[in-house]
Amino acid sequence: MAEAGGKGWNRRDFVGGAALLALALGIPAAAVKLSRLDPHEAPGPRQIELLREVSQLVIPRTDTPGAGDVGAGEFVALALAHGLEGSRARVNVHKFPELAAWRRSDHSLDHVAWLEHELERRGGMAFLALDGPARAAALGALDADAYAEGVREHPWRTVKGLILTGYYTSQAGGSQELRFELVPGRWDPDLPLKPGDRAWSSDWTAVDFG
Amino acid sequence: MEFDAIVVGSGITGGWAAKELTEAGLKVLMIERGREIRHQQDYVTETKAPWEMPFRGEGDAELYARDYPVQMLNRHFNEYTEGHFVNDAQNPYVTPGGKDFTWFRSYQLGGRSLTWGRQTYRWSDYDFDANRRDGFGTDWPIRYGDIAPWYDKVEDFIGVSGAAEGLAQLPDGRFQPPMALNAVEQHTREAIRQRWPERCLTIGRTANLTQEKEGRSKCQHRSICARGCSFGAYFSTQSSTLPAAQKTGRLTVVTDAVVEAVEHDPVTGRATGVRYLDVKARTRRTVTARLVFLNAGAFNSVHILLNSGIANSSGVLGTHIMDHANTLSAMALMPGFEDRTSFGNRPTGVIVARYRNMEMMDGAGHTRGFSFQGGALQSTWTAGKREAGIGGDYKAKLRSPGMWRMVLVGFAECLPRATNRLTLDRGRKDASGLPVLNIDFEFGKEERAALAQAKADAGEMLTAAGGKVIMGFDRPGAGGTAIHEMGGARMGHDPRTSVLNKWSQAHDVPNLFVTDGAQMSSSACQNPSLTYMALTARACDAAVSMLREGKL
Repeated sequence: MAEAGGKGWNRRDFVGGAALLALALGIPAAAVKLSRLDPHEAPGPRQIELLREVSQLVIPRTDTPGAGDVGAGEFVALALAHGLEGSRARVNVHKFPELAAWRRSDHSLDHVAWLEHELERRGGMAFLALDGPARAAALGALDADAYAEGVREHPWRTVKGLILTGYYTSQAGGSQELRFELVPGRWDPDLPLKPGDRAWSSDWTAVDFG
Repeated sequence: MEFDAIVVGSGITGGWAAKELTEAGLKVLMIERGREIRHQQDYVTETKAPWEMPFRGEGDAELYARDYPVQMLNRHFNEYTEGHFVNDAQNPYVTPGGKDFTWFRSYQLGGRSLTWGRQTYRWSDYDFDANRRDGFGTDWPIRYGDIAPWYDKVEDFIGVSGAAEGLAQLPDGRFQPPMALNAVEQHTREAIRQRWPERCLTIGRTANLTQEKEGRSKCQHRSICARGCSFGAYFSTQSSTLPAAQKTGRLTVVTDAVVEAVEHDPVTGRATGVRYLDVKARTRRTVTARLVFLNAGAFNSVHILLNSGIANSSGVLGTHIMDHANTLSAMALMPGFEDRTSFGNRPTGVIVARYRNMEMMDGAGHTRGFSFQGGALQSTWTAGKREAGIGGDYKAKLRSPGMWRMVLVGFAECLPRATNRLTLDRGRKDASGLPVLNIDFEFGKEERAALAQAKADAGEMLTAAGGKVIMGFDRPGAGGTAIHEMGGARMGHDPRTSVLNKWSQAHDVPNLFVTDGAQMSSSACQNPSLTYMALTARACDAAVSMLREGKL
C-alpha cells in the first residue's frame, strides 16, 4: 500500500477490493463496501492517471482548480464501480457491436478500458504518451463523435457526465467555480443577471432538472 | 395500560389524530412501525454539502438497484434522504404481471410527513360531487360545506403559504403570504390569462411557512425539505402535530411496532384494540382501547383491515384504489429572459388550476379534471452533460446559469374502478410474517384521454407565452408515481357498497375510524394530504362526541 498515496494502488496489493479502492480514492470504506467490483476489473494506477488527465482536459485549471486537481478522476472510478449515471447497465451488443470487446463479467461496459482504447485509437499511441495538444485533439475527437448529430447514447457521455459530477460536487467546483449557499435564507424571485455572474451549485432543482 | 384510543401510524394523518384526540382529553397510544426520528436531533444529513457525502449526494446506484429499486424513482430520494425511505428488498409487495405500481413508503416516526411534497390544496364541490355527476364510483356522503371549517382549522395550524385567487374549483384557504413567481412564471401567468381567462397559473400552495409560528421558523429557502428541517419550517409530524400532542401529557408513542390486525369482538361487533409485532423484541403484543384510528397510510390501513377480516361486509374493502395519472405534459425553452435570474431555492413550484369539465363538460374523452404543476428554472452545470465540448471554453460556458426552461406536469384525476384493488397474497409473507399486499392497478382510457388533452393544452399555453416546446408526453407513469395512492376503504352512504360512513367510521365497526387516504371515494386532481388532515380532524371531533354521548 506504499503507493496508495501516490498514483493510486498497486494492483498486486489488491485484497478485498473495497477497502483498497477506498484507500486509493481517499474516501470512506463504507462508501464502497457493497460494490460488486471484481478485483481483477478494478482500474489500475495507469487507468486512474488516465482518468485524472482526461478529467483535467474536460475541466482545466483556470482561476479555479481543474477537475483532475480536485479528484474527479478518482470519483469517476468509484462511480463506475457503483454504476452511477447508468454505467453498470448491460451493453446492447446488437446495437453497439464495437463495444462487445470491453464488456465486464456482468455484461456492463468497462468504461475505463474502453476509453483508454478509444483515445489510443484516435491519438495513434497510448494517451499518456501523447503530448498536451495531442491529448486534447484525441479527446476532442472522441467528444465530437459522442455528441454528433443523431447520437443519443455514447459511453463517453457517461464518463463525461461523471467527470462533471465529480467536479461540480467537489468543494472547489461547487463553491469556487460556481457558488454554493446551503441556507439562502430568502427568495428573490427576479434579479438582473450580469455577464460573469456564476451559477449556483446549490440550486437543487436546476441540478436535478436543468 | 388502558388507552382511550389507539392511533396506528405517525404520518400526516396519524399525527393529526394523536393531536386532536389528546387535546380532547383522551389518553392515546400512537404506534409507529418504523424507527424513531427526533426533530432536529436526527436529521443527520441536513447540513451536508455534496463533497461531504460518499457519493456526492447522488448515492450508491448499485445499492439502490439492489435495495431501493422503487424508492429510488422518487423525486425526493437521494443520498441525503435515503434513510427516510423504506428498503424495498426488506418490504416486499407484489403486482400482477404487466402492471407496475411504484409504492413510495417511509416507515419511520413521522412517516411520509418528512418526505412529502407539501403541496396543500382544498378540494371543491366539483370534486365531492364528481362521482354522483358522472356515475363512476359511489357518491361522497359529504360536500365542501362539511369539510370547509376543518380545512380552516388545519391550515391555521400547519401554516400554508399561497395566493388567494377566488377560484371555485380551487377554493382559497387561510394562507400565509405567498412565495413569489419568478420572472418567467409571472410572464407565463399573464400570457395564459390573456388568451384563456379561465386558466389560472398561481404559485403552489405549500405547507412551508413564510411567517414564523408557534416555535417554528419561517422557510430558509433551501428546498432540501426531505432531509428533515430543523427550522421546523415545513409541516411534518415532528415539527407540528407531535409536539402539540405531547404537550397534553396524554400521548404515548411506541416505535418499531408493526400492527398486524385490529382485534375485534364478534359478539359486540366492536374493535377491542390492536395486535402488533414488537420488531426489536420479536414478540407479539396486544393493546386495548375504546377507539381505534387507522392512519397507517392508505394501502397499509387496508392491509391491516384485510388481515383482520373485519369491516368488509360490503365486499368492497381493497377495491377502487386510485393514484393521479401524471406525466411531463410539456417542457419549453423560454427565450427573452437571459438577463433575469433569482436567488434562493423556493420549495414549491406553480400550479395551473383545473379548467376542464366544470360548468361545461369539455373534456375530450374524459369527465373529470386535470391540473398542472411545474415551474420555470435556469439550468446549471448538469446541462453540460448534454453538451459537446471540453476545455476552457466549455468550463466558462457552464459557469453561468443556463437557458430558462419551463415545465408543466399534468396531474389527471383517476376514476375509481372496482378492478383496481388490493388483496392479500397469502402465498408470500413479509418479514413480520404477514401475507404481502398484492397491488393490482392500471390507469384506464379516461386518464389517458385526460393526459392527451393535458399535453396539447400545456404545449399551447407555453407556446402562447413565447416558449419553444421541446418535449411532452401523454402516457401516464406507473401507478403510484404521483405518490397519491388512495382509496380501498371508501366512504359512502350505503353500508352495502362502502366501508366507511361520512365520519370516516367503519359501517361495520362503530369504534373503528380510518382517516388516511384509504377513505377516499374519488381522487380529484389536487394533492390530497390537506383533505386527509381535515377529514381526520373532523373524524376525531365526531368520535369524541360519540364517545361522550355514550354512542360508542
